[in-house]
Amino acid sequence: MSEVLEAPVQAKKEAQEFEPKIVAFLCKWCSSAGSDLAGVSRLQYPPNAVPIQVMCSGSVSPLYILSAFNKGADGVLVSGCHPGDCHYLKGNFFARRRIYLVQKLLKFIGLESDRFRMSWVSAAEGTKYAQVVADFVKDIKALGPQRKLKAKN
Amino acid sequence: MVAIEDIRTRARELLEGGKVRAVLGFRRSSAGLLAEPTFVTELNDVASLVWDATCVHNLALYLVNEKKRQKAERNPDTRPLAVIAKGCDSRAINVLLQENHIARDEVVVLGVSCEGGGVIDVRKLADVLRGKEATAAAYEGLGSVKVTTASGEATLAASDVLADRCLECATAYPSVSDVLFGEKVDERGFSSRFAATKAVAAMTEEERSAFWDGHFERCIRCYACRAVCPMCYCDECVVDSTSFIVGPTTTAEEKANRIRWIQRSTTPADNAMYHMVRAMHLAGRCVDCAECERVCPVNIPLRLLNTSLESEALEMFEYTPGTDPAQPSLISSFRDGDPNDFVR
Repeated sequence: MSEVLEAPVQAKKEAQEFEPKIVAFLCKWCSSAGSDLAGVSRLQYPPNAVPIQVMCSGSVSPLYILSAFNKGADGVLVSGCHPGDCHYLKGNFFARRRIYLVQKLLKFIGLESDRFRMSWVSAAEGTKYAQVVADFVKDIKALGPQRKLKAKN
Repeated sequence: MVAIEDIRTRARELLEGGKVRAVLGFRRSSAGLLAEPTFVTELNDVASLVWDATCVHNLALYLVNEKKRQKAERNPDTRPLAVIAKGCDSRAINVLLQENHIARDEVVVLGVSCEGGGVIDVRKLADVLRGKEATAAAYEGLGSVKVTTASGEATLAASDVLADRCLECATAYPSVSDVLFGEKVDERGFSSRFAATKAVAAMTEEERSAFWDGHFERCIRCYACRAVCPMCYCDECVVDSTSFIVGPTTTAEEKANRIRWIQRSTTPADNAMYHMVRAMHLAGRCVDCAECERVCPVNIPLRLLNTSLESEALEMFEYTPGTDPAQPSLISSFRDGDPNDFVR
């Protein structure tokens, strides 16, 4: 009897399990191609990351990152070319410095530091991209939904 | 100690020769303890200039405002503006020079060293005096301030009434000046640099989160912090979006879909967004004059946000804002040795 009653409850619980929303700013030349490679290689990785293609990781304004959190993202990933491989020669060096400051500011304000991440993913590193997203999703699932910066509406 | 007569003499010389269009300084205010900023254009008014521990304002703000006002004028007076600058004011002037917002020949900097002192924090003073209203405050030797109230005089320890930024200040003398009044004093021995920020950074994540939630909750978005900041000189601010022109042909859909980076509602999340965006915009530019914190009507410790990034810039990038107008800005430069470990 109890098995019959508990089965649907269990199913509902699983359906309600928290699925994080991740906004991934991917540079067009490396990380975006890397995520494409992960796709065409049929790698299995969590579908939680919404890719947004940007021309360069250096073009990601801190405002984009904060705005993503404000609009309800549970995590934000900024990914670009490895240092020295930037299509625009030095865009990712600028990004590195800026993102470092954003990360420190988010930490200072009391947001969990695991919610914001930067990675270097080249166009050949489909497996690395899949791994980065899988790790990110795993860490954010442990943290639960992001409420601190989310606008209430 | 800096003799006010020296400053007045120099101001008189500049005005008499017609070398400057005005001397920007402080005079006694008609209300309250703090001196008020003044534009001295007449020789008769030079005698009203004062210099003491109540001259808290950052006068670099008026260089920016004056620049804005001049742009709208048909025949602007192009003579330079003389400005009395403390250490923090001069750093702000340096940043403005670095960003080419003002040119070096547009300003005559009358640098004044704070020497062993600093400026008074009226909130701290009110706490110490327990409701008695101070009418005058002056240094009585190093390390003590004589405060006059209606019921008499009291000598207070400087470390109890000086503004936090002055206690933590490492360079309490002008970094740029045409004339320097007072001695450059490096040893001050009040408090260590970034002490207040470090205390917040040392909290646990939950404590920090609760600390800032409590403060941001109170923000009423009056934008006084933005109005008083000499670095917030943008014509259009991201929180205003004044460039979205609503006319008779603007459809409801266009209005609904226009980009709103930051909402104007005063929810804690949106307030946090606003203050973080401001902190990011001031990264490597904020010179820690703490005017934002002073003018805040709800006592949010805004200075901490900016000093936290300033301390990061110093520790990781060896960058100090406002020291050298020729250095590239923090955000528009990089080094190979920048931190890379945080990137996956």
